[in-house]
This record gives sequence, structure tokens and C-alpha cells, in this order.
Amino acid sequence: MAVENKINVNDLNLHYGDFQALYDINIGIKEKEVTALIGPSGCGKSTFLRTLNRMNDLIDIVKIDGDIHYDDKNIYSQWDVIELRKKVGMVFQKPNPFPMSIYDNIAYGPRTHGVKNKSILTDIVERSLEQASLWDEVKDRLHKPALGLSGGQQQRLCIARVLAVEPDVVLMDEPTSALDPISTSRIEDLIDELKKSYTIVIVTHNMQQAGRISDKTAFFLHGKIEEFGPTDEIFFNPASPKTEEYISGKFG
Amino acid sequence: MTSTGSINLPAEEKIISSPHSRKIRLQERIAKSLIWFLAVLTIAILAWIVGYLMVKGLRYNNNVPYDVTPYAETRLSLDAFGEDVEDVVFIIHHKTRSEDIPVAGLRKLYNKTRPENWGFYNQQNLRVVPLAYEGAGAFSAAVKDFILTADDLDDYKKNVQEVDSWQDMIEQVGSTAGALGFLPASEAENLPKTVKVLGVRRTSVAVHPSVMEIVDGRMLREITSEDAERLASGEVANWKDVGGIDYPVTLIERTSDGQCLEELQSTKGAMLLCHYGDVEKNGLSILPVKRHETGWNLTWHFIVEAPARSGQWGGISYIIINTFFLILFTVLFSTPVGVMAAIFMVEYAKQGRLMRILRMGTETLAGIPSIVFGLFGFIFFVQILGLGIGFISSTLTVTLMVLPTIIRTSEEALKSVPQSFREGSLALGATKLQTIVKVVLPAASPGILTGIILAVGRTVGETAVLIYTLGSNYDLVSGPSSSARVLSLHLYMLFSEALSFDRTFATGAVLVIIILLTNLSATFVMKRVSKNTGK
Repeated sequence: MAVENKINVNDLNLHYGDFQALYDINIGIKEKEVTALIGPSGCGKSTFLRTLNRMNDLIDIVKIDGDIHYDDKNIYSQWDVIELRKKVGMVFQKPNPFPMSIYDNIAYGPRTHGVKNKSILTDIVERSLEQASLWDEVKDRLHKPALGLSGGQQQRLCIARVLAVEPDVVLMDEPTSALDPISTSRIEDLIDELKKSYTIVIVTHNMQQAGRISDKTAFFLHGKIEEFGPTDEIFFNPASPKTEEYISGKFG
Repeated sequence: MTSTGSINLPAEEKIISSPHSRKIRLQERIAKSLIWFLAVLTIAILAWIVGYLMVKGLRYNNNVPYDVTPYAETRLSLDAFGEDVEDVVFIIHHKTRSEDIPVAGLRKLYNKTRPENWGFYNQQNLRVVPLAYEGAGAFSAAVKDFILTADDLDDYKKNVQEVDSWQDMIEQVGSTAGALGFLPASEAENLPKTVKVLGVRRTSVAVHPSVMEIVDGRMLREITSEDAERLASGEVANWKDVGGIDYPVTLIERTSDGQCLEELQSTKGAMLLCHYGDVEKNGLSILPVKRHETGWNLTWHFIVEAPARSGQWGGISYIIINTFFLILFTVLFSTPVGVMAAIFMVEYAKQGRLMRILRMGTETLAGIPSIVFGLFGFIFFVQILGLGIGFISSTLTVTLMVLPTIIRTSEEALKSVPQSFREGSLALGATKLQTIVKVVLPAASPGILTGIILAVGRTVGETAVLIYTLGSNYDLVSGPSSSARVLSLHLYMLFSEALSFDRTFATGAVLVIIILLTNLSATFVMKRVSKNTGK
């Protein structure tokens, strides 16, 4: 194969206390591809996404069985969680810029990882904002509060903030669900651009979006992966009747 | 016709209505007017309280008893002593805040063996330095006669500083704080600015004893200065008009031969305006006169001068400084502890039964009357730890008292920081501590600041705790174990020991102003902080 699997998940089971949220998940996520996770609400796709950079660690009652390998190393036993999260960044459903200036938001990640040099930080800020195609809009007000930006700008800021720590994989949890159509299309363009250099896993409720931006799609249902394959196949020639029903809008 | 006038509205628009909707409308109106009434009432009461406190604090407005009438005379005529000498003018150092003084007071200042203090007359803690000029013959002898009784002469010599000439007198008085001297009236022209003239009040209202008789359980004890003037001008013809018995007023002219005194003694209801010297020589009955005095209560001097004589004299500068020290150290001790406790409770502790108990505990502590804390502080810090009554004991006790407030408000502030901030930070690979310090605490800082301001407010207003743990020394705090007073405690002492109501109110006004400034600066700081965090 030309591209290696960046992330390999084997027999992943996840419990919230007594409730099992994920059943026997097996999936391989390829490098520099966009993998979309779709499925009805409560099917476990966000939970799965959050497992990939160990954000579920924050919840005490979560119990995880199975192996997740990132770069062929187990993320629970061979990766330090801080290093892992540096490499596997995450963009959340609601834009969550910190209550500080735009500059400080972007510089936050590098600073926490020990970058102190001002000119390096400024370079990182400019590069990240350019990558997130936000530079032209904010270059004159870098030291203004980030919360003064519009929703779409805030989300692109959050993406830039993730890019600033130079990740490998970017996880996106419904990044456009709180945004208007124009902001959404800008983010989609951005994702298209980003997949040249990053591996992207995106959870979305929007079928058309999955169709537009992803190379692979995984359909989650009741905590299981019902179907996983190239997006075109999932959309035009689904193997499972449930996938077809969901995609054609019969439920979900 | 204008366009608005041309619109043809029906004369009476029929509003679609029902009994039910009319009833609801009525209820709405009644409720609205009730709410308005209560709101206006509350605001009025608040404004009245603050206004009353401020007015009483800023201005004094008292009836002050005086032995003599209020006619402040800059020149003191010596003719009462039967000698044909020039009138005398008393002069003082320009920074002494007395304008006039009763003759009796003047005599005390000159012949006490122990140095007298201006504080007795103007609450200014300043020793009196009496000056005299011996070499001017008859004049000085007459003044001496006037301000001394014969057997005081030795004491007078011990107490009084001699000067060499009238010119020297003016110079000495001008350069000595608290100085008091005298000059012949002819020398008192064009005095330098460092010297000012002290008025001497010595006109007394002498009356026939019948005026002050008790009739039907009523007795004329005193009159106001306005009444005294009306009596003297003949405007009042009967004593009952000024609150006395039913006698006509007989005004007697003062004569130099003593005839007037005989007349006074023999006429029922007689009244004579005479000099204090006459009263003293002849043992006349005098009618006390009260003067109405108003002025600035809260003066610059009151704020910047050190307190003296239990706070009766001087100002409250030390006490203000002590208050700020108490606030500073309380905040220094309680903020780190309280904020860290709140961080533990919100960010680290498992939310279980133990936390519920802890939370209930802090809430209970926040509601406990401060005097209970005072008791605890007295037993624990003062007695068991042996820190003694003093600054450190009181600071620690007040710290304990305000901790629950700081913990509760900080907890709420931390809880109100959106979880997404924490997630965003952690997802970037920050540790929990980095997340708390760099993202959560700054976002929570306005709320935490509110808690600190509340704590400062409680500290400024605290009295009960401090009675037990801080003592009542009115000096500046000099060390951890030094006893001191803060504003609220000073106010309490002034009031409970009846030292001075005016000063109680002035201290109260300072407290109100400090609280006001604290709140204003808090609003300002919070605005700045919120601006930086972009909210």
C-alpha cells in the first residue's frame, strides 16, 4: 500500500459505567486522508473520536478495552498523553477560543510546550493563521480578544490553534454544526486544503458534508461500525441496507 | 391638512376585549404599581440612610454650652478691673485651630502648673505654650491680674515663658506651635500671617436668682444665644417667652460704680449683661447660654492627624492606616488559601458525599456570627497559641472568618468557567495544572475578585472579632503583636465610651467612603480584567 495506516484500532470496547457505548471497533485510518464518521445521535461516533486522543480520560467512569495504535505505538501504554495530544489535535463542536487575545490563543499551545522565544512564537502564529486561512482577516487585530470574532472565524482560530502545536492528526468533532452555511463552506475548503499535510478524522451530522470532503466514511450505529469504506462506495453502493436507509434519510 | 391629520380614524376604535382580559389587565396594573412603589421606597430609604450618615459625618451641628455669651471680642477691655489701661489682644500661632475661647478657659491656659492642651478647646492635640512680657509695667500687671488669682503667681512663673518685647512676643508666637501670648491693642495692628488673634468671650448673663427658681417643676436652665440677644435688645419682655417663669424681664444697664449690681440683687426678674470678672468678684448667678455651632466635621485635619486622648483629639490617620494593614494582610492570608481550596474542590476532588459535607461546612461557617469567630480567635490564637491580643491574632481570626466567603465565591467562579475551555487546553497537550493556571483561573478571575472584594468589605466592617483579638490601642501598628484599632473598632469605642458623637459620625463617614472606593475600584478592576479576557 502506498499510504500506511496512521491509526489502527483493534477490538475497541468502551463502557460508561454499566453502559457500553462502543462495541468491537476495528478501523484503520490512513495518512493524509479525510475520514468521516457519520451516524445518528448517540451512536458513539463522538465518543470514538474522543478516544483517539484520550480525551475520555477526563471522565472517571469510562473503561476502555482493546488496542489503539498511533504510529504503531499503543496510545495507552507507549504514548505519553501530553505527547499524544500534541500529535493528535482536536477541534470541538462549539468554537472554544480562550478568553484571551487572538495571538495568545494561537501561542498558547507552543508556550505550554516550552517555546519562549518571541520571534519564533510570532512566526508560529502567522503560519498557523495562514494555514487556517484566517491571517488576512485578523492580522491587524492580533491583540484583540478572540471572543470578539464571529463564530466561523472563532472555529478557524481553533483550527489554527491546533495547527500551531504541529500535529499529525486533526480530530474534528462536528466542527461546523454551530456555524452558518458560508462559514461552513469556508471550513470545508480549509479541510480540503489541510488534508495535503494532515490526517483528518471528522465527525459530522451532515451527509452532504461527508460526501463532499471525505475520502473514507465510517457509518456508526448503536456503538458499532456498520460499514466502513471509501466514501463513494458508502454513498452510492452501500453494502448494508441500514447504511442505505440512513443515507437516504429514512432514519437518524 | 397634514398627512397625519388626513388619516381617517374612526372616532372610537372598538377594542376587542373580554371581562377576563380586563381583569387580567387590572391585576397587571396593580402589581406594576406595587412593584414601582416598593422599588421607589427602597431606593428612598437607602438614599436617606447614606445621606444621613454622610451629612452627619461631614458636618457637625451642635448646641454647645458656654458659660458666657457668644460675643467673640477680639479686644478685651480691662476696665472691669478698675484700672485705666489699654485693651488687650490675645494672639496665637496661626496653625492653632481656635477662633475664640471663654475667659475662664484662657485663665486655665495661663495658670496651670502642668502644660495645658489645646485639645480641650478645639480637639487639636497641641501643647499650649503661654508667653508673657513682664517689662511693660501697668499693662502687664493688669493682664496678670486678669488672668491670675493672687496665689497662683508662683505657678504662673513656672509655666509661662518670658519674652523681651512686644515685637519678640509676635515673633515667638508666630514661630512656636501652640503658642499663646498677649499684646496691647495698639501693638496688634498689621500682625504677620503666622499669628492670629484669639477671640475671648466674657460677657455673661447675670440674673436675679428668682429667674432660675423652680416653679411647677419647671426651671430655666439655659438659654440659646439667640434668646440672649433678644433679651438684651428688649425684644422679650417676659421670662416665660424663653421657657422660664412668669416674671417680667428687667434689663439693667451696666454702670462702673457697682450701682447696677445692687439693682440686680434687689429686682426680681432682673437681668444684667456684664463681664465675667464682675461675676467672679461678686458671686452673681449667671444664666448659662448655649451656642449653636455648625462646621465641617470630616476635615482634612481629621483624616491626617494622629489620634490622641482615646480619639477625642487629633484625627484618625493611624486608624485608617491600621485598617488598610488589616485588609492587606487578611487578603494576603486568605486569598491563596481560599482560592486553592476552591481549586481543589472544583478541579481535583471527587464530587461525592465528602464534598457535600465540606460544602455545607463552608456555608455554615460563612453564616456564623463574627462574634463567635472572635471568641474562637481569643481562645485559640490569643490564649492557646499565646500570640496575645494584637495584630497577628486579629488578622488570623478575620482570615478564618472571610475564608468561607472567598472559597464559596471562587468555587462558583471556577464552576462557571465553561468545560470547553478546559477541554480545548487539554486537547492541545497542556497539563491539568497548566490548564488551571493559564486558562481557568484567568477566566474565573472576575468572580474570584468579587469574593475578595466581599471579604474586604467584611474586614472593613468587622468589629466583634476585633474587640476580642485586636484590643483598643489607638497607635499605629508597630509589629505582629501590637494592639491597635481599626475604623469600625474606633467608631465602636467612640460611641460606647461616649467620647464624641461628632467623631463617631465622621469615622462612620470615612468607613462609608472607603467601602464606596473599594467597590468602585473593584468595578474598575473587573472591567479591566474582563476587557483583557475579552468578555
